Amino acid sequence: MNNGTTRIAGTIVTYGFVGLMAFLSIFPFLWMLLGATNSSIDIIKGRMMPGSALATNIATFFTQVNAPLVFWNSAKIAILATVLTLAVSSLAGYGFEVFRSRHRDRIYSALLLTMMIPFAALMIPLFIMMGKAGLINTHFAVVLPTIGSAFVVFYFRQTTKAFPSELRDAAKVDGLKEWQIFLYIYVPVMRSTYAAAFIIVFMTAWNNYLWPLIVLQSNETKTITLVISSLASAYYPDYGVVMVGTILATLPTLAVFFFMQRQFVQGMLGSVK
Amino acid sequence: MDMRTYLPRFAAIVLAGASLMAVTAAQAKEITVWCWDPNFNVAIMKEAGARYTKAHPDVTFNIVDFAKADVEQKLQTGLSSGTADALPDIVLIEDYGAQKYLQSFPGAFAPLSGTVDYSGFAPYKVELMTLDGQVYGMPFDSGVTGLYYRKDYLEQAGFKPEDMQGITWDRFIEIGQQVEAKTGKKMMGLDPTDAGLVRIIMQSAGQWYFDKDGKANITGNAALKAALETINKIMSANIYKPAAGWSDWVGTFTSGDVATVITGVWITGTVKAQPDQSGKWGVAPIPALSIDGATHASNLGGSSWYVLESSAEKAEAIDFLNAVYAKDVDFYQTILTDRGAVGSLLAARSGAAYGEADAFFGGEKVWQNFSDWLAKVPSVNYGVFTNEADTAVTAQLPALTQGTPVDEVLKAIDAEVSAQIQ
Repeated sequence: MNNGTTRIAGTIVTYGFVGLMAFLSIFPFLWMLLGATNSSIDIIKGRMMPGSALATNIATFFTQVNAPLVFWNSAKIAILATVLTLAVSSLAGYGFEVFRSRHRDRIYSALLLTMMIPFAALMIPLFIMMGKAGLINTHFAVVLPTIGSAFVVFYFRQTTKAFPSELRDAAKVDGLKEWQIFLYIYVPVMRSTYAAAFIIVFMTAWNNYLWPLIVLQSNETKTITLVISSLASAYYPDYGVVMVGTILATLPTLAVFFFMQRQFVQGMLGSVK
Repeated sequence: MDMRTYLPRFAAIVLAGASLMAVTAAQAKEITVWCWDPNFNVAIMKEAGARYTKAHPDVTFNIVDFAKADVEQKLQTGLSSGTADALPDIVLIEDYGAQKYLQSFPGAFAPLSGTVDYSGFAPYKVELMTLDGQVYGMPFDSGVTGLYYRKDYLEQAGFKPEDMQGITWDRFIEIGQQVEAKTGKKMMGLDPTDAGLVRIIMQSAGQWYFDKDGKANITGNAALKAALETINKIMSANIYKPAAGWSDWVGTFTSGDVATVITGVWITGTVKAQPDQSGKWGVAPIPALSIDGATHASNLGGSSWYVLESSAEKAEAIDFLNAVYAKDVDFYQTILTDRGAVGSLLAARSGAAYGEADAFFGGEKVWQNFSDWLAKVPSVNYGVFTNEADTAVTAQLPALTQGTPVDEVLKAIDAEVSAQIQ
């Protein structure tokens, strides 16, 4: 009886806490969805019910923003950054773990230390470099500094520790060259790792704000995050339109997440234990 | 799949993608402008550009819009890196920050003193872009202030529009108490985390956080002290409706909860966005302090255009600004009608839009009034650290409302400002 009461109280506390946390994380999302259906004035007045302005807001968004171009810019940058980052940084992480050399761990520590430098400190020198290379206002300049990501190298090196060295040995006996081992053995086995890294890198690239802002100069090259920032900073922002833009900008990352989540699970099932 | 044929193909795709991303370089005689707000500055600059292109078909415009903080960030990075081709030809800078850029990056902006006739502009606007006798920049929108009031509420409380003209702050508070007693409405909305009202009151008496030489002017600043005392009186008389943030503050008058609004002229569009309140509003000059140099005119916000010295199209950019912003009275009528923008060119008042009687304000010629007040806004030196000083004031406002004596609040603000600017 006493035990039962305690258990019920515990359940209530647990669910209360979980419920509160769920509310805290869902509320901004709900607010965004409701905001998209209301006029700016209703949003300012604090209206929390579905409104009738959704069609108007969508129409205004598409007249004010060259949406196909802006989304194409964002997608181009995110996909290129993800593919190149995964290719370069997974090779580096694999190399760091598999090949032994005298200064390997010192170089690795130095690489990890670069994660401690805030991007704001790198911005101006990086900008000067891009200026000298004539890359200002190109999407390539946005992608280039993100390719060699210390975090992704670190992530791949850590997961490579679980990659059985027997597989490498067996492949060598079968006469595979190093790059063949990487491509035919390592990459398929590490599918789950790639899937997780894909999600992380894609989201970072899609939501990247500061560096694209600095390096992109014209309306034709701007990404969706820059456009939303510009809409939201008007003297009288049309919050309904901003919310429509935010929802549209969230969809691709959501899609990638759900799609890759399945891959992630499949990769886990198929990986060599 | 055979990897030997696959790999070169993959490489080719990557290379093709990279070359696709290169963007065609800007054409000659294209003037690039950076500014914020698609419905205000961007739209107005497009109108100005279209007018100039009509007369000079060889000059075209590329108006790029970024958020205000983003324009500042990009300008700062571009100027710091010394990468000139990364900068626009013309950039919009908020007036409070103008001296910061002019003094931090000497030689970065083109002086326009020889070209532009500055005597036609509101003097305070010219003063804020002057450094060492040179005037940089083209004065643009003004935040000349007014006292917007609900005629219906004030009438219920026994006040006529004449009673609102040329009042002091003490009288304003008295009226506020009457209004609440008779109508149950508060006199004004007040956001305790926004120092905007302090700035309005201070500048109306010709003072600022900094003196003419740019030195901090806090503890001996009679206008700042009187401004804080006024806020204190408003609070202890409890004639305000508290607001949490900008949107909430706007809500205090759009919802009809308060009887007056004291702020920059740019709020007119928001006031008029409530058609059901048409005919119920009037505009009077803002209340004055009772100290030396007190006036009924002030300013809140506003920004101006600057030409980059490194610009390849510098001559065209300057000629463009001069032709449209310093001479085209008709342009100012269009931007007033379409965008609600009040420029700083005093001659604009002679145009048709400025002479119109506004039915929303019961047929008052509000734009003529604002134009009168615009010419009277006292000139002050916004200095390099206005934003830092503002933060210090905001941080000390709660102490003021909790009963800390004004002199001690001033000392605390002074200490914080000195700490921040060193």
